[in-house]
Amino acid sequence: MAEREVAQRLFAREFNDSTLSLTSVSSDDSSDVNSPNLLISPTGVRINRVFVAGVITEVENLGSEAGKERDLWRARISDPTGVFIVYAGQYQPEAAIFLSTVEVPSYVGVVGKARIYEPEKGSVFISIRPEEINDVESATRDRWVVDTADLTLKRLDLLSELLSSGMHGDDLADSLKMKGIDFDSSEAILDSLEFYGTDQEYISEFKQSIRESLLSIKENAGVQIKQNEDTENVILEILKELDQGKGVQYSCLLEEAKLRGIREDVSDTGVRSLLAKGECYEPKIGILKLI
Amino acid sequence: MNDKYAPHIEELAKALDGIDRDDIKNEFNKLIKFRVPLEEAKRTVLNKFSSKEGPETKIKDISQAPKSFTLKGRLISVEERSFVLKGEAVNLYSGKIADETGVCFFTAWNDFSLKEGDIIRIHNAYMKHWNNRPEINFGQRSVVEKLPEDPSMPKNEQLFTRSKKIIEINSSDMLVSSQGMVTEMYHRDVNIKGKDTKILEGVIADETGKLPFTSWLPMDGVDIGSVICFKAAHVRLFRGIPSLNFTNESSWEMLPKDQCLFSKQDLISDEPKSIPIAFVLEKDGIFDVAVTGNIISVRPGSGIIERCPVCNRVIQNNICRAHGTVTGVKDMRIKAILDDGTGAVYIMLNKELSETVFGKSMDEAENIMKASMSKDAVFESMKRSLIGSYLSVRGNSSKSEFGTTIVARSVWLPEDDLLSRLECLLLKLPEDD
Repeated sequence: MAEREVAQRLFAREFNDSTLSLTSVSSDDSSDVNSPNLLISPTGVRINRVFVAGVITEVENLGSEAGKERDLWRARISDPTGVFIVYAGQYQPEAAIFLSTVEVPSYVGVVGKARIYEPEKGSVFISIRPEEINDVESATRDRWVVDTADLTLKRLDLLSELLSSGMHGDDLADSLKMKGIDFDSSEAILDSLEFYGTDQEYISEFKQSIRESLLSIKENAGVQIKQNEDTENVILEILKELDQGKGVQYSCLLEEAKLRGIREDVSDTGVRSLLAKGECYEPKIGILKLI
Repeated sequence: MNDKYAPHIEELAKALDGIDRDDIKNEFNKLIKFRVPLEEAKRTVLNKFSSKEGPETKIKDISQAPKSFTLKGRLISVEERSFVLKGEAVNLYSGKIADETGVCFFTAWNDFSLKEGDIIRIHNAYMKHWNNRPEINFGQRSVVEKLPEDPSMPKNEQLFTRSKKIIEINSSDMLVSSQGMVTEMYHRDVNIKGKDTKILEGVIADETGKLPFTSWLPMDGVDIGSVICFKAAHVRLFRGIPSLNFTNESSWEMLPKDQCLFSKQDLISDEPKSIPIAFVLEKDGIFDVAVTGNIISVRPGSGIIERCPVCNRVIQNNICRAHGTVTGVKDMRIKAILDDGTGAVYIMLNKELSETVFGKSMDEAENIMKASMSKDAVFESMKRSLIGSYLSVRGNSSKSEFGTTIVARSVWLPEDDLLSRLECLLLKLPEDD
């Protein structure tokens, strides 16, 4: 069984710098058609599939240009370090439909495969061909940035450790094996060190950029969490007030919340979070009750 | 006729350095007798003996072993069995083989003159599942090499004293010793061979993990919260998830409080802690595990489905594979892929969990279906509301040919730990001067 390719998390900055492409690292048999096309990133990520949560800032229908195939959408999705380019053509009909109607700007999540286009030596274009694309909440974007920062930082720390060890070749491969890193990943790390010539300067520069990314969402995330807490408190209050023993109709709750200035989708998220936390429950469908 | 082929045999012997000449000759002559063309015969013999040597494998890795592998171990028991195959009496040999990492059943389909206590290296062995447990097979192409006695290779008795942490117990264990706290327990009456028997079922946990157990022994004085130390519990497997069975061969004792190596409080609080999905993928199956990731795909087959009222199979157009035309029972489920950047697992949510995650009851979902006159409407709507979002899932994981699946027992939105995680990361990222 071929294991499913992981949807990697990496920032646009790193993704767009990933110019090393391999047909297959893992398989000795080059005729193996199932072996994925891979990009190796500067920190040694084997990129086949990626998951990105960011802000969609621009959508363009290239299909409307004369002489082009009929439907080709290009979108720009921004994260704190740069921009991912997404192309959806006739073979990604769902994504194309989504892009044709999406509100700009808004938060979106994209799952897709990395594509590399090299029209001539020295100019390389990296893009994403979407498998799935959807609206997400701003909290999802924030969490994605933290997750991605976390995973990227781990990779950078490992690289930095390898560089300062002064080891080369087989010694380096052995030390990666000792750390319990599987063969494919360790090959990718070695390839990236060789190809990109990653050095400590690159690492510390990248770290600063991650730091700035985190700071940029810190404020937003703080406000968001505060808001969520406020919403939840209001909902709890409403539940307390309206409940006459048999719980509160969900629709009544939404109505009351609206009167207090909370949008319907916001209170819905709040209710779900309260249900998940166990602060209230649904004795019957459509009825909410405090614990 | 032998003379005529002698140069060819010579050639083969040269190419197959280290293989007995007579074996090559016998094999070759057999093919010639069947009037196989010379070239084909040579190729076949060459292939048979020079078979690409599989990598050396340890018993603990047996379930992930390649198609063909080499293994070194001690034969702990050998039993001869004969049965009739296509009207011919056949002998096969089965038993247990052990190395320093575990013990495993084997079946030899040929007579390799295996003897109990011998240390052997078996080339070109292969793995098959038998009773949910991986088993080593010695077949046509296998070659057994007897090795000199090596006292470092465990003998039978040592296996009984093998003591492991709960998380380390896997398919390479048949009997295992460990300790843990009983976190769940209930009595059950079962009828075995016409006899009413009381058994105990429950869950045992330590700081590394937990496993279900069944005891056929009375366990007086043991209750939820007791810490026990057990020896020689049988390990059974179901979908790659081990379970512990206390039988007549097993023994157990209560562990005094001061000898308990882990915090009972942590185990009782039972806070699910998410682990990286990469770790889940390494195991054949884990009992009660929690993961957190993004839903990156909602699979077809999610949404409103119909089940056979008799066997619960998913049916289409009111026709059940086993029960013919039936009136389907409506149900709702979500099959999705959860990915956390370290790996991806399939997750399965039943009706109740689907309703929570989807945020709509099955009735509401049915109305969506009716309003749009399309069966896929619910599936599409689920995709729109779920893809990209974060979810935490808790349940049992198991590996199959379709990939690793977690059947969810509970789901929730990941806790609001974003700011604290953010602060933690910032600490590791000092500002440049």
